[in-house]
Amino acid sequence: MQNNDQRITIITGHFGSGKTEISINLALQARKIFEKVAITDLDVINPYFRSREVAAQFENQGIDLIAPKGKLASSDLPIVSGEIYRVLHDPSYQLIIDVGGDKDGATTLGQYYNDLKDLNYELLFVVNGNRPYVSTVEGILETIQQIEMVSRLKITGLINNTNLGVETSLEDIEKGYQLTKAASEKVSIPFLYTTISAGLKEEVKDFAEGKEIVYIDRYMKLPWE
Amino acid sequence: MAKVLMKGNEVIAEAAVQANCKYYFGYPITPQSELVAYMAKRLPEVGGLFLQAESEVAAINMVYGAAAAGVRVMTSSSSPGISLKQEGISYMVGSELPAVVVNVVRGGPGLGTIQPAQSDYFQAVKGGGHGDYQIPVLAPATLQEIVDLMQDAFDIADKYRTPVYLLGDGMLGQMMEPVEFKERPAIELPEKDWAATGTRGDGGPRIVNSLRLDPADLEEHNNHLQAKYKKILENEVRYENYMTDDADYILVAYGTVSRIAKNALQKARSKGIKVGMIRPISLWPFPEKAFHETRDKVKGYLTVEMSAGQMVEDVRLCVEGHAPVHFYGRTGGMVPSQEEILKKIVEMAGGEL
Repeated sequence: MQNNDQRITIITGHFGSGKTEISINLALQARKIFEKVAITDLDVINPYFRSREVAAQFENQGIDLIAPKGKLASSDLPIVSGEIYRVLHDPSYQLIIDVGGDKDGATTLGQYYNDLKDLNYELLFVVNGNRPYVSTVEGILETIQQIEMVSRLKITGLINNTNLGVETSLEDIEKGYQLTKAASEKVSIPFLYTTISAGLKEEVKDFAEGKEIVYIDRYMKLPWE
Repeated sequence: MAKVLMKGNEVIAEAAVQANCKYYFGYPITPQSELVAYMAKRLPEVGGLFLQAESEVAAINMVYGAAAAGVRVMTSSSSPGISLKQEGISYMVGSELPAVVVNVVRGGPGLGTIQPAQSDYFQAVKGGGHGDYQIPVLAPATLQEIVDLMQDAFDIADKYRTPVYLLGDGMLGQMMEPVEFKERPAIELPEKDWAATGTRGDGGPRIVNSLRLDPADLEEHNNHLQAKYKKILENEVRYENYMTDDADYILVAYGTVSRIAKNALQKARSKGIKVGMIRPISLWPFPEKAFHETRDKVKGYLTVEMSAGQMVEDVRLCVEGHAPVHFYGRTGGMVPSQEEILKKIVEMAGGEL
């Protein structure tokens, strides 16, 4: 479950592990509880499929989207919005920070080290065991170390988001669960929960029993979907 | 190998590695930079060489050098970078050097945008650089299809001693889908007895060159190239017919756009309009036969592209006035929607939504 004790949730992980979808879902879920919610898109890695693409949805829900706007939203520039400082230090805001993939994406996060270090935050690492280079405990550990090094922050929790896109089966989720559990034990970072597409709720009923599960919807859709 | 979830650009790179390509020279550009990054990490793992050149012009000339030495080699870029590579590509054609060139197309002209487009069709299919030549162009629509076509691209390159394009768009490069890399038996390819690998007292030096100062000699060389293109036209056509058997109308689309068109087609069918689709997979050689077989049976074609109308010219050349050929396109990085295509189908069928 999302830990509401922490005002700031930062989502990191390997490139393509599902950080943006999780960030969007967490922001929408937080808005059901909190009056003021902001999502910050720090993704300087992906040129498409970033959380800024669901801007209209955030506006409808009264969520502040902090991202390059207007022409800059689709520019080929590795930029972030300075507006983040407005919500970073405002205790009335719940803040979700969607970071770009791998160490290259997390480098962007490093610049907020001096702001974040004294704030109440959780830094989560998303695992998708079906992605190349993070399908093993060693691969996950290496990526975590690199992200911690460039961000100068410690990962505080792991999320299992193992999926195969539209072809995700229970088997994928279980495999990712075991992998994340093993990684969690190895690095002594708590395994917080597993995210599963809401469409699979029925199929994973038995697996979900007694486990921390967050059901998520997909927002990054392709024009034929 | 089990299925993995990958980004299109990563699939292009991994598919090339699986096709035994161990040399990559390139220069990053959005929306294909992940391909470059993947190669930088992956090629050293298989004992290959990745080199980020100082420019696209340098990269294509490094490809020329590696191809001349007889190895499987590739480069990739997006539209403006491919324009820069045209001189080198023409030289490779002249020297008959095999290589794969990937273009993950973005909106143009000029620096344009980083959003997806299909507006480099003419450049890929009609030459692009100087001189009389053709380049085989393969256009995958799914990430799984990239895996198969990449192997084909390298095989065609080696078989006919020619550069081959793999043409995608930003959407194909950036999207994620499950893919499986299956072992594919290697086909028999001619020995590269022309490659400049150094003499060992086994004859004179081998020279790989596109300079032919004697016009009669150059004309003969051109005739040789044209004969080769004829063979490619005969052997390397690839396309998919989708629900064309009973179709009154046929959509024509390639790459990612064909997937949008396919859904519009289903919606039109549910309204009682019998629509089929021809999806060219090889853009050159263009699948003439698919049109010759249908042009006297259908009431019209609708070509859908992310361009101002490029492939539609080839469709018209194949249909030769036997049926009307309509066009719908979006440009500048805009993507046609299912609804827009459906509206055009309904219009073509003389109805209203």
